[in-house]
Amino acid sequence: MDLPRRGLPPTADADSQDAAVALLGQALLNCAAGRQSGALRVYGQPGGTVHVVDGGVAGIDTPGAPGPDVVLLRSGRVPEPGWQDAFAVAAVDGRMGAELVRRGLIGSGQLEVILRAALADSMFALLSGQVDECRMESATAACLLPLDPPADSAALLSEGLRRLRVLASMPNPVRHDRDRVMRGHRAPPAGSMAGGGQDGILALANGRRTARDIAFALGWGVYALTLEFGRMREAGLLTVSSRRNVTRDSPRDPVPAGKSAPPGGSHAADAAGAGRPGQPPELPRRRKAGSGPSRRSQPASSQPGNSSALLRLLRPGSAADPEPGQK
Amino acid sequence: MMAGARAAALIDVGTGMVVRAAGKTGTDLPDALQAAAASLADEARVATSSLGQAHPGGDLDQIMVTTTARVHLTKVLEFRQGDALLLFVDFDRALTNQALAALQVGELAPALLA
Repeated sequence: MDLPRRGLPPTADADSQDAAVALLGQALLNCAAGRQSGALRVYGQPGGTVHVVDGGVAGIDTPGAPGPDVVLLRSGRVPEPGWQDAFAVAAVDGRMGAELVRRGLIGSGQLEVILRAALADSMFALLSGQVDECRMESATAACLLPLDPPADSAALLSEGLRRLRVLASMPNPVRHDRDRVMRGHRAPPAGSMAGGGQDGILALANGRRTARDIAFALGWGVYALTLEFGRMREAGLLTVSSRRNVTRDSPRDPVPAGKSAPPGGSHAADAAGAGRPGQPPELPRRRKAGSGPSRRSQPASSQPGNSSALLRLLRPGSAADPEPGQK
Repeated sequence: MMAGARAAALIDVGTGMVVRAAGKTGTDLPDALQAAAASLADEARVATSSLGQAHPGGDLDQIMVTTTARVHLTKVLEFRQGDALLLFVDFDRALTNQALAALQVGELAPALLA
């Protein structure tokens, strides 16, 4: 059954998103203004931890979107044995990214793209959910794959808001954390660029998984997958079979640093757990229906920053703006 | 390195996000680029779908759009499914040899992901 809707936000969701944007946005901008470093705990749903370095965002841990580690492994970009070897050597002191590049498992440019994309995806997941409280802790938390230098907070927020606007403008969007999808009445056409993975999506669309679940399983971004779902739904390839109920009660725990949401099958509300705003838990929580690897550190962003490699494309002396994200 | 190049950006096809950007297009670069990025991603997606199911003429490689003042080159960078990337380069038309620019962009693009 396809649930009839027009426009993304039912009122409660819109209010929740507005509050999320206001709370998290203000907290991040405060961090940026003070050039703070530490862990910004985000209580809510999905909630998470934002790793702040010198006012910028170096990583985000949230069960709402796959982190770069999940993206790298589940997409097959980095083979599991190579990952494990690099992890054993470099995970402890935050050199994981450099080690992956040093071993030739991924190019530095590719890695940066993945980190930035995953960071933007996680910010989108936080902003599209519920934020009850944000609390900055000066003690830094472990972040497996930090973006260095960190992403600009304002640019990251701007990209997150753009994504919310895009989804809100769609006539019949899929809710990434609620709508369970299944095959539609049409067969997929062969090959499209961003939809080259439609077969993989359809194989997992069994009526029990949401976009978020499938994103974890395939190593895709939640937002990109949600957009793809929208296109596939319009084409009759996918249909929404049911919708999860999301409990919106008390503030919830942020994801402990270095911990990740279970790829596939877990419920965002379950993952959020029950929290005590005054006492963030130190231990990871077991999540209903969760399975598989769950290391989760989350970098990546949407900051349209400067790129030395890109600059090399430009003619010398073309007065390249050193920071095009700034006016 | 490339005559007439004004700005360049890496665009994520799946999300329409500007991943990285560099160059000079005046003070309106961020907003204009961000607005253009989603359209460029859609453009690439539509162009790909127009190639037919089996892409008998090959995969999409570049899209060139010329105006009276500019040349916009969009190069598809090989990436993984669900994560196609575009390299967008904005040229000043009066200073650009279009064929040479297309060749140079094609040659230099792979280095961006290395």
